[in-house]
Amino acid sequence: MSLDIYQENILDHYEHPYHRGALETPTLEYRDLNPLCGDEVRVQARVDESGCLVEAYFEGAGCVISLASASMLMEAVEGKTLAEIKVMERQDRLDLLGIPLTAMRVKCAMLALRTLEKSIHLYESAATAPPAV
Amino acid sequence: MRTAGHQHALVGYALEQLQQVPDVEVYGPEADERGGVIAFNMTDMHPHDIASILDQQGVAIRAGHHCAMPLMRTLGINGAGRASIYVYNTPDEIDILVDSLGEVRRILRR
Repeated sequence: MSLDIYQENILDHYEHPYHRGALETPTLEYRDLNPLCGDEVRVQARVDESGCLVEAYFEGAGCVISLASASMLMEAVEGKTLAEIKVMERQDRLDLLGIPLTAMRVKCAMLALRTLEKSIHLYESAATAPPAV
Repeated sequence: MRTAGHQHALVGYALEQLQQVPDVEVYGPEADERGGVIAFNMTDMHPHDIASILDQQGVAIRAGHHCAMPLMRTLGINGAGRASIYVYNTPDEIDILVDSLGEVRRILRR
């Protein structure tokens, strides 16, 4: 039998997610969905002057894998700089979960990270954009 | 004709069994107006989790939007599980499907 993807640490994050909720004044925010399965996630975060992500929250609807991986990601990225988060690879994300996933479920596991990356991209593009005329 | 008869009888039996499960919601018409598929959900459980856990029990169903996202929006759901029934399936296998839903409950509602 294959390794159980519904193991204790995954179900713990699903049932008692870390920072599932909203930030009042987020610096970063993005909402994204996986149209194949309908999973949806919003990531919000606060970044300080030094480019460090000090708080991260998520909200969303999805399966155990997508919600547990969002919760683990929020925990893992707090205290990291945006530069450190941007170099997080797909494998780092999957290592956090520590379970083998089929191609379909990998998309569930990657949704929150992809959403966070897009929020960082938007934040950095806005910071470097020329002033509107 | 024998194939259609077998399929209708089995779909009817599966609907009857699934509709008796309190936390299962079945979508679509009565057995005589159906093809060989039954879309369903379990209260507060994501269809992909239902499908993965059933898979571990040796029961293969499909889960997701089934290429019908506008319908899912209309129904107010984020997907559904879908059991397909054909000539090679048996009533025993319907019973295994229904019994295996207990495993989904055991894992996800601790």
